[in-house]
Amino acid sequence: MKLKELVKSLNLKVLVGRDLLDRDVTGGYASDMLSDVLANSDKGYIWVTMQTHPNVPAVASTKDLSGIIIVNGRKPEAQTLRKAEEKKVPILVSQWSTYKVVGKLYELGIR
Amino acid sequence: MKIKQIMKILEAEAIGAQRDNLDIKTGCGSDLMSDVLVFTRPGSMLLTGLTSRQVIYTASTAGVEAICFVRGKKPPEETIKLAEEKKIALMITNLPMFESCGRLYDKGLVGCSELAGASEK
Amino acid sequence: MKRKTWLFGTSGSTGKTKGRTRRPPRIQKTAKTQKTQQLSYELKIKEAMSKKVLTLKPNRTMMDVRKVLKDHRFTGIPIVESGRLVGIVSIEDLINCLTAGSMETMVKDIMTTKVVTLFSDEPLIHAINKFGSHGFGRFPVLDRDSKKLMGIITKQDIIECLLSTLQSLYHARESKKGNRYQVARLFADVPSDWTTLILKYHVKGGDFGKAGEKSDQLKGNLLKLGYADEQIRRLIISALEAEMNLVIFTSGGDMIAQIEPDKMTVKVIDDGPGIPDIELAMQPGYSTAPDFVRELGFGAGMGLPNIKNCTDEMKLESWPGKGTNLEFSVYS
Repeated sequence: MKLKELVKSLNLKVLVGRDLLDRDVTGGYASDMLSDVLANSDKGYIWVTMQTHPNVPAVASTKDLSGIIIVNGRKPEAQTLRKAEEKKVPILVSQWSTYKVVGKLYELGIR
Repeated sequence: MKIKQIMKILEAEAIGAQRDNLDIKTGCGSDLMSDVLVFTRPGSMLLTGLTSRQVIYTASTAGVEAICFVRGKKPPEETIKLAEEKKIALMITNLPMFESCGRLYDKGLVGCSELAGASEK
Repeated sequence: MKRKTWLFGTSGSTGKTKGRTRRPPRIQKTAKTQKTQQLSYELKIKEAMSKKVLTLKPNRTMMDVRKVLKDHRFTGIPIVESGRLVGIVSIEDLINCLTAGSMETMVKDIMTTKVVTLFSDEPLIHAINKFGSHGFGRFPVLDRDSKKLMGIITKQDIIECLLSTLQSLYHARESKKGNRYQVARLFADVPSDWTTLILKYHVKGGDFGKAGEKSDQLKGNLLKLGYADEQIRRLIISALEAEMNLVIFTSGGDMIAQIEPDKMTVKVIDDGPGIPDIELAMQPGYSTAPDFVRELGFGAGMGLPNIKNCTDEMKLESWPGKGTNLEFSVYS
C-alpha cells in the first residue's frame, strides 16, 4: 500500500514529505519508546507515535521507515520538522488516538 | 467487552489477581504517562510496554481498570503488587502494540479520544 | 387410591392444581424491599437449599413414612432410587392410609411420581414464585444435568438465605465506611472565618522508584476525608504531573494540599533550576526532559499543559537558577 493511500483513508495532515508519498508501506509499528522502535521495527513500516521531539525522525531515518504518523493532533517542534525534511522522513498528523489510528490501519490490511 | 474475550483476542495471559467480570468500555495504547492521564476514561484498558510502578499510579489516577503489557514485557513484582492493591487487572501478550490495538479495534472495542480535563470542566 | 397428577416441575409450570391455585406473591417495590428483590434474582436455589435430605426407598412402607414424618414434622418426603428422585409421599397420603388401615402399603404404590421440583441453578425468585402458586411446604431440588436429588428447599430456607446475605452485605459496607471521616462535617462543626486542612508532602528529586507515591497518598487521604473519586480526579491528575516534574527536573520539593469547604488547592514549591521560558514550557509537546526519562514514559512535554487543562485556576512563577512555585486549584 502506498503512503498516499493512507493519507487519504485516514485523513492525515502532511507536514513533511508531500513529495515522498509514493513510498510503499510494508507494515506498521506503534510505540512511544525509541529504544523499542530501534529494536523491533522494520524497513518500510509506518510508525505511529505521540512523540514529537527531534530524535523521532532520526530514529525513523536510521530504520528506513516509510513515515511517521503523529497522533492526537500533536504539533511537532520546529526542530523536529527540520530534521525530518533533512532526513527525508514524511511526518503526518492525525487527530485520532494511537489506538484508533492503528485500528484504522489494521482495517486497511496493514500488519 | 468482557476481559476474558479481550484476553482471547490478544492471546494474553493474566498476571496477578483476576477480575473475571470486568467489562471494558474503551481502549488506549500509549507509552507516555501524561497522555494516559489525559486521554483515558474510567472503565478503559491501557495497552503499554511500560512496566514501572508509575504506570499503575497513572492508571489508578486516570481510572483505567485493566492494563495489557505488550511485546511480552513482564512487569516486576512491585508493579504487580501495586496493581493488586489498586484493583487493576493485569495481563501480558507477546503481540506488539500495533497488532494488539488492531485486533481489538477490529473486534469492536472503541478508543478513548477525548481530552479528560477539557471535557470534565 | 386416586393418583394425584401434579404438573411436571420445571421452571415455568403454572401449578394449577385443583383447589390450590394461588397467585405469586406480590413484592411491593419500596426502596427497602428493592435490595431483597434484587437478591432473590441473584441468589441461586443451591445457595439456600438444605443439602441434607431425608429420603426413603420405594420399597419402604407407610409405617416408615409415619415415623419419619412424625419425628421430623415434615409434610412430605422424597422417594429416591439410586440418587434419583422417583416420587414423593405427602402427609395427605399418610392420613389416607391411616384411615384405610393400609399402613403396610409400599411407598412405591402410593407415591406421586410427577413431582414439582426446582433446579439447583435456578434463581431464588423461582422458588418464591412456586411457593406462591403451589400450596406445598417444600420442593425437592434437582441437578439440571444429572437430574439427581441435590437437596430440598423450604420457605424458611429462603428467608434465612436472604437474611444472611443482607447481613454480610451490610457488614461489608459498614467496614468500608468505617475509615471515612466526613470533611464536610469538619467544616460545619468547626466554624471560623477561615477553616482549612493542610496536608504537606515532600518529594525527593531523581527518585524514580517512588515517583507517584505522594500524589497517590494525597488521593487516598482525600477519599478517606469523604470526597468521591470523580470530585478529586482532576486534582490528582495535576498533582501526579507536578510530582513527576519535581522528580525529573529538581533535587526535590514540597507539595502542599490545602483543603477548604469550596475548593482544593495544591502548591508545589521547589528550589530547582527554574523554567527559563514559561510560555514555551506551557506548549503541548515541548519538553526539556533528558532522553532516559522518555524511555520511562515521561517527558512528553504534556505535564504543565495537562495541569492547565484539568484545573480551574493555575499560577506559575519561576526564577531561573532559584526555583519554581506552581499553584493550582479545583473547585469542589
